[in-house]
Amino acid sequence: MKLKLDNLSCGYGQRKVLENISLEINGGEVIGLLGANGCGKTTLIKSILGLLPTQGGEVLLDGKNIKRWTSAQIARVVGYIPQMHTPPFPFEVLDVVLMGRTAHINPFASPSSKDVKIAEQALEMLNITYLRNRIYTEISGGERQLVLIARALAQEPKILIMDEPTSSLDFGNQIKVLSHVKQLAGLNLAILMSCHFPEHAFLYSNRVVLLNEGRILHSGTPGETITAERLKTLYGVEVEIVSVINRLNKELKVCIPSGYFRPEIDLAQISATERNYALANY
Amino acid sequence: MQTVLKQKIAATGNSKSNTGRIGVLLLVLVVIFILSFTLGRYSVPPSQLLQVLGAQILPLEKNWGDTVETVIFQVRLPRILAAIMIGAALSAAGAAYQGMFKNPLVSPDILGASAGAGFGAALGIYFAMSMVGVQIMAFIGGLVAVALTYGISLRIKHDPMLALVLSGIMIGSLFTAAISCIKYIADPYDKLPAITFWLMGSLASINLQDIYMVVTPIMVGMIVLFLLRWRLNVMAMGEEEAQVLGLNTRRLKTIVILCCTLMTAASVSIGGLIGWVGLVIPHLARMIVGPNYRVLLPASILLGGAYLLLVDDMARLLASMEIPLGILTALIGVPFFLYLLLNSKWGWK
Repeated sequence: MKLKLDNLSCGYGQRKVLENISLEINGGEVIGLLGANGCGKTTLIKSILGLLPTQGGEVLLDGKNIKRWTSAQIARVVGYIPQMHTPPFPFEVLDVVLMGRTAHINPFASPSSKDVKIAEQALEMLNITYLRNRIYTEISGGERQLVLIARALAQEPKILIMDEPTSSLDFGNQIKVLSHVKQLAGLNLAILMSCHFPEHAFLYSNRVVLLNEGRILHSGTPGETITAERLKTLYGVEVEIVSVINRLNKELKVCIPSGYFRPEIDLAQISATERNYALANY
Repeated sequence: MQTVLKQKIAATGNSKSNTGRIGVLLLVLVVIFILSFTLGRYSVPPSQLLQVLGAQILPLEKNWGDTVETVIFQVRLPRILAAIMIGAALSAAGAAYQGMFKNPLVSPDILGASAGAGFGAALGIYFAMSMVGVQIMAFIGGLVAVALTYGISLRIKHDPMLALVLSGIMIGSLFTAAISCIKYIADPYDKLPAITFWLMGSLASINLQDIYMVVTPIMVGMIVLFLLRWRLNVMAMGEEEAQVLGLNTRRLKTIVILCCTLMTAASVSIGGLIGWVGLVIPHLARMIVGPNYRVLLPASILLGGAYLLLVDDMARLLASMEIPLGILTALIGVPFFLYLLLNSKWGWK
């Protein structure tokens, strides 16, 4: 299935946050959405999910405009993974995953054994069957994020949308969650993921979209899109992009914040404080 | 593999034990129900009670006086039924609201239903209406207050749930002030005490007529909530998330508010202000069966019915004079709630 944004404008009330957003995602692709805080990543995601009315343009699923779709119709196609959160009540993990079945269950019914089976398969796919009867509010942040992914899978969607799925996770859990994301793309899901780290986009996405000042600054493969210059425009900091060869002889790119340590700066010309700062950053 | 198996066994065991727990709660309710007939100034021994009840369906020889039948069917039955219905209704409404507002400290009167009903009743008493008139005024007052709250919240361009709670608090305060205003101008020898006693809550003068009046709104609200109960889990994850999971949150919210308001306004209209039941009982139920509404709602209903019946029995028996029920539910409910907060594993975080 294909998600297409055609000239989309969105924002809150009269205020426009994003304009002329056009973008296509196909099954099996992971698209990374990069941009500074407040650039409109979350606004874009909310508009695609139908939580915010669009101000212009269209969101198309396989060519069909979803403006008039009910939330259940959208939920049967698009799964959403929010940033990590804590609900007020200590639900069991299985109950949380079963909530993914909402759009498939008749309003007056509770989940059937078939729904339980689908939820269990989702847990299994993410290797977290052991969490089945644990209390959702008592497991670790990384585990909770995986449970939310399982819940989205239980929706049996064609498209997955993730809003900074790794924010507030530790290093190891970030990598674990992201490798599962890549695995899911292998199941022919189309995935749109907003993220904080350009490196994650290098490692885990097929394409990246850079959002800046309400528009798409550039989009394309990570290698050609993420440049030091564009990252400076996006985040306002100096970055060096370095290529490394890993032990599988594959070229990887790493972003290193370079602070003041730029070749064009003559260390003799700057003040002592700045020099100390530059050396400390080196 | 073995751990997986163990957990599977644990899981089925869990759902089975929850069914068992519901069974125990039902049994507790039935025992208190039967005992309540025998308790009171006019003593009815259990054996006689069974005979009188049995005679309703079986052709038994009548060896008891008419007074016994009057006490059982005209005096105690309506009061027992009212206590169970009101306790169950307030607890179900409280449980539903706590999930919907994602807040375990919410009670059924959060949107102003009780204050509105109190105002309606005070107005009815002020204008010297009949008992039925006062009840109808109370019911309408509750509906109007919540309708105002809901209408205002729709116009607030902000987090819709917060808007609801805030406008509920405002409308509630407004109606409470209006009650004080009526009390201030009411005749201090006759109407003021009537209003004051009504607001304290009591089931002392309930008759079968009252039961007929409120059974429909309470049952409709309760059955609809019962049918929708699984969706309340999804709603407890937050409105936006629930919508993304495929829930028509606006419709569900409206239905839940409508059901809870029908139940609360009907309860207040015949029983007066009975606080704390709708806040404490869902907590207790959550501790017993967990937060899943699939079992939490029926557990709250059974526990709420049994609890209020027990407290009402105490209101009848503890002193030579009837103690207003609303005072007892607060006197018992608040320390009990504090005990739960201090001593046990919370049903929420």
